[in-house]
Amino acid sequence: MSVFMKGNEAIAEAAVRAGCRFFAGYPITPQNEIPEYLSWRLPEAGGTFIQGESEVASINMVYGAAAMGVRAMTSSSGPGISLKSEGISYMSSTKLPALIVNISRGGPGLGSIQPAQSDYLQATKALGHGGFRMMAFAPASVQEAADLAYISFDYAERDRNPVLLIADGCLGAIMEKIELPPMKETDEEATKKWSLSRQPGEKRAARALTPIYPELLLENENKMRGVLTKQWEANDVMVEEFLLEDAEYVAVAYGIAARVVKEAVLALRAEGHKIGAIRPITLFPFPKNSLRNLDYGRVKGIIDIEMALPAQMRDDIELEVRGRAPVHEYGRSGGILLDDEGVYTAVRKIIENSQLSTLN
Amino acid sequence: MKNTVLISGSGGQGVVSAGIILAESVAESASGTCLPEYGPEQRGGAAKCSVVISDGEIISPLPGKYMNFIAMNEQSHKKYIKQIKDGGLRVFNSNRITGIPADDKTILVPADDIAAEAGNPKTANIAMLGAFIKATGIVSEDNFVKTLKKKFAGKSAEILDMNIFAFKKGLNL
Amino acid sequence: MDKTYKRPDAIMPIPSGFCPGCLHATAIKLIAEVVGELGQNDNALHVLPVGCSALNLLYWKGDMIGAAHGRAPAVATGIKRCRPERLVFAYQGDGDLAAIGLAEIIAAAARGEKFTVIFANNSTYGMTGGQMAPTTLIGQKSTTSVYGRDVADTGYPMKMCELISTLEAPVYVARFALNTPKGINSAKKGIKKAFELQLAGAGFTFVELLTNCPTNWRLSPLGSLDYMESNTVPYFKPGVYKEAV
Repeated sequence: MSVFMKGNEAIAEAAVRAGCRFFAGYPITPQNEIPEYLSWRLPEAGGTFIQGESEVASINMVYGAAAMGVRAMTSSSGPGISLKSEGISYMSSTKLPALIVNISRGGPGLGSIQPAQSDYLQATKALGHGGFRMMAFAPASVQEAADLAYISFDYAERDRNPVLLIADGCLGAIMEKIELPPMKETDEEATKKWSLSRQPGEKRAARALTPIYPELLLENENKMRGVLTKQWEANDVMVEEFLLEDAEYVAVAYGIAARVVKEAVLALRAEGHKIGAIRPITLFPFPKNSLRNLDYGRVKGIIDIEMALPAQMRDDIELEVRGRAPVHEYGRSGGILLDDEGVYTAVRKIIENSQLSTLN
Repeated sequence: MKNTVLISGSGGQGVVSAGIILAESVAESASGTCLPEYGPEQRGGAAKCSVVISDGEIISPLPGKYMNFIAMNEQSHKKYIKQIKDGGLRVFNSNRITGIPADDKTILVPADDIAAEAGNPKTANIAMLGAFIKATGIVSEDNFVKTLKKKFAGKSAEILDMNIFAFKKGLNL
Repeated sequence: MDKTYKRPDAIMPIPSGFCPGCLHATAIKLIAEVVGELGQNDNALHVLPVGCSALNLLYWKGDMIGAAHGRAPAVATGIKRCRPERLVFAYQGDGDLAAIGLAEIIAAAARGEKFTVIFANNSTYGMTGGQMAPTTLIGQKSTTSVYGRDVADTGYPMKMCELISTLEAPVYVARFALNTPKGINSAKKGIKKAFELQLAGAGFTFVELLTNCPTNWRLSPLGSLDYMESNTVPYFKPGVYKEAV
């Protein structure tokens, strides 16, 4: 079914179609269309919507729902994700699946309500205390936002770990034509082995879901977290490589920024510049190989482009480039969007300066 | 072929609705994106909505500078004119933006007068789109009316008729 | 000869790790007895807090889930909304419920969530070593109020039953003191009442149990019961604060 939809609403509808039947959240711009949409859509689909008294309470409601084997989600923006950190860490500890959506805005602090990509480090390194990791999906279009929200529940249940979908406020607000995925039947089979759900009269041994462990067991759980991370890196990386075959310059960008970058790549190619782009779709696991395996005999420069200052993805990029090419950065911050003119001009200048310095 | 439009006005003039209807009607046969710019105010101020239209895939929905400009009041006209490329089409609400002569790239639409005639001041945005569509041929009349019908499906037939009236008035200035 | 008294089925047949004389053990035994008497051993779902009362993880035999400090009512909300047929109860201490979790308990009560909160109030943070709690009595010493609680500096002990009973939604709000056999018997009736109301889908139910902490109060078990009688009970008056008809 083809519909013209706003990013936030597409994420909400895709989640319902994926079988999500529980949402708890707290109002914060620029993600409000998600709870607004789900406030009527979930009851219609036989699910539950709760506007919690806080972000903290909302993530803990999701924790409770997930414990019962129900597909559950919450959404927020940077300041609210910080508040949810506690609950997200507990969910990872207790091994509960859920979808966490961050429609991010300018930061730090209250920042601004306009779109930004200033939560990359939070999303990929530490969504809470204690050293757990989560898969982080970063869509670049409304279609991709819906598609990734739809499959994220499967990953969350497979790994028994929450999953993050991170998009900026622009992607939340923009409207595009999309194909919605089909409605899935809710299925408790995947969670039946561990959830606290119990059909009336069902006999099974009592279960405890706990965020506290004896030391040796906790160490073992954490070793398994390391194994899980390796598995993600081996099997679950998603990346778009754009015109890399002969590229001498490689721009790296994710989300809406990557679309602006691709437009600039095309414009610069039309002028004869050999440039391509790498778009991480999973921010974690980061597409290390795409950067690691570039032909550094040919590549003269990497350009990190983000709606974040200072650039946050840069560390991950440099770890793979390993000094084999200079890493440049360009970005806007504070809620100011990147645009075609700005990125084209900046990248062109970086290339020209780089060529000049090579000549010298 | 890619086309970009910036629609502006004050909060409450239907700037975002106009953007959505324009992009959605284009999306019937091609690609269209609509990005409302939101501010902390719920009403008033200078509201903006950008629409990108293409017969192919829309790679970037953020042009920075726009080819076409639809402005519904003086404040937003002043604020956003610097984001418009030279030589683009400008459609102005002549009831609120005065002192600019019409020329082959500037269309003046008495949008508030048309809306009053339609019987609903909220249809001024649709009158503006009528004039814009006439000048650009960016979307067929049929697809636009089809989208109007979809958008006003939950409202009374009278409201739909008022909007179609305003659209046709703008189209046949 | 009939067996007239036994360990309730809902608790493990192992010694409790609570300090000698601690009334948490009594409170948990009462809950387990009621759960068994109502035939809810399988259906009950226990939401654990943070603090000494989380030691239930080791003793409770039924389904349970550990919540973050103060968040038990939010976790219980998610559970009960998804599975309304379950008997869901959170057991929270006074630091958990009346300080860090104040927003969650008040909001859950105001929404009229259809589960039960059992609030064990012993006027201290037991597990962390006896710091001042929102319910520490005026003049009572703690590791963070070494000269005794000074109202000029830290205000007055919070009366949660009184606070919650001002809300429209709760259907049962009551306080009992566990320092006497009479109080223990009344408390059991109160817990039963709350669970029965929950099973009938009536609304939010709240039972406060006044307990002790001989270890952190630096008193003998018996001395702590006397302290309760002369200090705790006069300030936190037992009684039914709200009962919707």
